[in-house]
Formats: sequence, structure tokens, C-alpha cells
Amino acid sequence: MKILNLAWRNVFRHRRRTLITAAAISVGLAVMIYMDTMMNGLDNLAAGNIIDFETGHLEIFAKGYYREEGLFPLDTIIENPEFILQRIAKIKTIKGVTPRIKFQCRVNNGIDELPVLGIGIDIEKEPKVFETANTVVKGEYLKNPDDILIGKDLAKDMDLDVGSFLTIITRDRYGTYEAYDFTVSGLINTGHPLLDRNAVLMHINIAQRLLSMYGITELCIKTRDDNKLMQLKNEIAGKIGKDFEVYTYKELNAGIFDLSEMKRSGQFMLALVVVIIAAIGIINTMLMAVMERIPEIGMLKAMGFGNYNIVKMFIYEGGIIGIFGSLFGCFLGLLASLHLVYYGLDLSHMLENIDIIYPVKFIITGEINYMTVLSVFIFGVVVSVIVTLWPVRKATKLQPVEALRHV
Amino acid sequence: MVEMIDLYKDYKVGKVLFPALRGITLKIEDGEFTAIAGPSGSGKTTLLNIIGCLDIPTKGDVLIDGTSMTTLSTKQKAEFRKNELGFVFQTFNLIPVLTAYENVEMPLILVNMPAEEKKERVISILEEVGLSEFINRKSNEMSGGQQQRVAIARALVKEPSMVLADEPTANLDSMNAKEILSLMKELNKKKKTTFVFSTHDPLVMEFAERIIYLRDGKIASDKKK
Repeated sequence: MKILNLAWRNVFRHRRRTLITAAAISVGLAVMIYMDTMMNGLDNLAAGNIIDFETGHLEIFAKGYYREEGLFPLDTIIENPEFILQRIAKIKTIKGVTPRIKFQCRVNNGIDELPVLGIGIDIEKEPKVFETANTVVKGEYLKNPDDILIGKDLAKDMDLDVGSFLTIITRDRYGTYEAYDFTVSGLINTGHPLLDRNAVLMHINIAQRLLSMYGITELCIKTRDDNKLMQLKNEIAGKIGKDFEVYTYKELNAGIFDLSEMKRSGQFMLALVVVIIAAIGIINTMLMAVMERIPEIGMLKAMGFGNYNIVKMFIYEGGIIGIFGSLFGCFLGLLASLHLVYYGLDLSHMLENIDIIYPVKFIITGEINYMTVLSVFIFGVVVSVIVTLWPVRKATKLQPVEALRHV
Repeated sequence: MVEMIDLYKDYKVGKVLFPALRGITLKIEDGEFTAIAGPSGSGKTTLLNIIGCLDIPTKGDVLIDGTSMTTLSTKQKAEFRKNELGFVFQTFNLIPVLTAYENVEMPLILVNMPAEEKKERVISILEEVGLSEFINRKSNEMSGGQQQRVAIARALVKEPSMVLADEPTANLDSMNAKEILSLMKELNKKKKTTFVFSTHDPLVMEFAERIIYLRDGKIASDKKK
């Protein structure tokens, strides 16, 4: 028989107590894993939406444009996109390039008016970078010059449908008001709130005419290998020279990805509180174990057990509870996470009219990070062992004679 | 050989000082079967605890084979108890989750010994105390007499030079007490193990070869049969 064996038996002296203590750890860790899975999924979904509908992997702007992005300045535009296209034509990792023009405008249905983002797209090149064409849920993609695509949510807000007429009002490059009548050719449902509620898509040449300009505001690039994005960015930047700037989708949406980090730490703190509560449970259990076994500890000391062996025994006990709790917690967390991965969390009704800042909608699916699961497991066991040390201190301080006399 | 030189022990309860031992000087030779007798509060258990390095005297010294016990560190004392002493307690103090076999095996956890030898020793000592049929029983499945036998086996399994027994028969009926004492006497004869009891049971005194009476923390008499 070994001390580990003795600790094992001791842990199961009070099965119910051990079970409840371990369950508390399990819940804490399961929450940690589930939240991580959800955040991973949310990040992936957000990144996917940004890449597939908003920016692509990389965007090229004229120098100085991005500093004013959000204002959509029309005086710092790419006047001659062909120049860039020629320069980057031979880069093999580029899957597709498409020009876009983004501008502020207002959409008017004759009764109401809403500010939206106007996006001029090249319908030939667009599908090589963006998935917009595949998200037309009603009507059809842009065809005639005065066709316009609007999001499903915007259509609902403005009471528009396929075939409806609307007017786009904007200021051109020189500040002059311009208006243009369009017919809604189709409704899109992308899952990206910007596209579905706050943007309209039209032919790029119509946008140019509306804004009295020839160039474009940006070139959007999709790569074949998004692991080497920074490498590609530098390669493009080197080829196109200093008159232009290249940004990755992460740089362009730093706010959202920073927010994700913040949410992560916030949720981690929440889960940590649960684990702390569980840790208090372990302290309580171990304190009770020490208190009720004081004469036994005295006997062990009389037998020649030094403090080292006594501490070892209790640490094993805390560790065993920790391992059980953590294993079950990881199992529980994984189970819940798998549900999130395969079925997802349907938030479409809840988030229909709420802006959660995150560029996602519909069903949030998770992604399990097995390294997190492993770290959470180790964390659970380590916490269990560490918090055991405090109650055990009491056992080590006992004189054998006091312990034996203890009733 | 255990030598006690002018031992004093005071207990402080609140602000009041209780003298438990008041100048005990005593020698116990190897292989003795000695009872320390006396009424409650006479200092029997205190004396036993000090011999067993479980407690420290307020004044005086204990020499075991010439080594002063008061100078040893906590770790050295634990080491000494591990190698040289066996304890039998009034309340048996068995570990309830373990079987008789495992309880007896406990002291051997700390000893470097081949598993096979450990097993042999445990089984043989359990046979000697007459419990070979109960090796897989847990303490709550055994009678008081059987539990005390396990405790004795546990004290003897590592073949200590001395066994200290604190009122070993106090929780036993006279039948069981007699059996336990006969057993200890037999082991004392066979293995030359020194036995020191604290007791106020006349039966123990009947078995003892030497009886030291304590009264108010002092030796009232010291008789050898």
C-alpha cells in the first residue's frame, strides 16, 4: 500500500461530500470551456463575415484614405486601379481582386429616409472575392444599370421589396448633391449586419457617375493562404509603391478583434469566480477532512509519519478531487461545446433588432480549442492542489500528543 | 534502555498551571514488561507520551540507549518513532477505510522493504495475533478485541524495540483483555520487545513484571515481581 492508495480511500470516505465538491469544480471548468468555444466561434464567424462580405483578406487604399475611413473621403481615391492590378497580377497566392467604391448616402423610399453605406461593385470580379452573389434570397443579382441590391433587414425597415423603386441621395466628389433612382433587383441575406441593414449595392460605374469620379476607393483581395497574410501584405506593398497602403482585415477591424479580447477576459473573469467558489468548496471539504481526522493524524505521526508524508497524503486527496472534478468538467464542457459546434446557438430572434457591435447574426456556432480544454483541466487540478495547502497547514502544526488527545 | 532523569511536565490550561509530572527519575531495561499504574491524573499517559517522543518535558531529560530525546528535532523524533517505537492506543485508532491487513501494513509504508517481504510480515503478524481469517475486514466489521489485536499487530509489524501501550485494555471486556495481555506477554518473551503500559486495570498489573505506581506526578512505588 502507498500513500496515494490511502489518499484514494480517504477521498471516498464521504462519497457525497467528495462528489459535491468535485461537481462544483466541474461546473466552473465546463463554463470556462463552453465560453471559450462560443468566443472562438463568434470570432470565426465575425472574421468570416468580414472576409466574405466586407473587406476580403486585404484591402488596398490610396495613401491617406484609411486614416479618414469612416468619413469615406472621395479626394483620396485610387485614380488608376489598372496600375495596381498590373503590378500584383503575378502574385500566385492572390485568388481574386475586385474594386469597390464605398460612399455615404441616404436611401429614400418616398416616405422615409435612412443613412446607409453605398457600395459600388464590379459584378464580374466581385464573386472572385466576395460571397454576396450567393446570398440573394429574393429577386436577382445586379443586371440592369439602375438595379440595386439591398439587405433583407433594410427592405423590412424601409418597407421595400423586389421591384420597388428607391432614390439614393449623396454628395459627389465636389460636394454637390446628387440623386439617382434605382429599382430593387434583389434582397440579400448575408448574416453580416452591415450588409443586411446598413448598405446598398450597385454597379460600380453607376456609383462613379453618381459621385462624379473615375477611380475607386479600394481594391479588395482574397488570398489562397490566409496563414501568410502578413507576407502577402508586404509583398503587395513592395510592388505597388508608397502611393498606396495595404491593410489586412484584422487591421481594418482592430476594434472588433480588441473587443473580442475584452469579452474573452470578461468571460474568463466570470468563470474564474465560479472556480473560486469551487475552490472554497475544496478548502471547506479538506478542512473538514483534517478536522475530523485529527486523532488519526496524531496516530500517523506517532507511527513516524513526518509532516512531509501527511501533507503529501492530503495533497493527493485534493488532487484526486481536482482530477475527478476537472475530468468531469472538461467532459461536460466538451459536451455542451459539441452541441454548440454542431447545432449552434440560435440568436436570430434575440438579435434581430439589437446591434451587438459584432458583425454576426443568426446562429452562433462554436469552435473547440483543445489546448484550452487541456489548460482548463490542468488549471482545475492545480487550483485544487494549491487550495488544499491551506487546510493542511493545520495538520502539520499539530503536535502528535495534542492530535491524539483531540476528540 | 530508557532512562528518565528528573522529569517535570506542566500543562497550562487557561491561566492555571497543572503539574502532570513532578520529578520522575526512572530506568526501564530492554525486554521489560512494565506497567505504569496510578489513578486518573497521576501522569501515566504524560509519561508514556514523553517516552514516545510525542510530548516534550518541561524540565529533565529522557535518554534512550544513551541518546537524549529532548535534543532531537521534530523530524528526528518522527524518524525515531518510525524505527524504534510501536504504539497501542486505548481507542485503537485504526483507519476505518482500511482493512485489517492494510492497517497493519501502514507503518511499513515508510519503510524501504520489498513488497513481498512486507506482505509476509503483515500476514505472519496477523496470524500471531490470531486474525488470519479477518485480514480483509474493515475495523467497523470487527469487535473491540479484534480491533485492538489489529492495533497490536500494527505496533509490532516493523519489529520495534519498544511498544508503548496507553491503557490498551480500557475498552475491552475482561475476556478480551486477558487474551490481549497474554498475546503481548508472549510477544515480549518471543521477540524480546520492551512493553510499557499505562493502566489502572488490575488485570494488566497481574501480567506485568514490574509495576510503577504514580501519584500526583511522582513515583509512589516501583515493584518488580
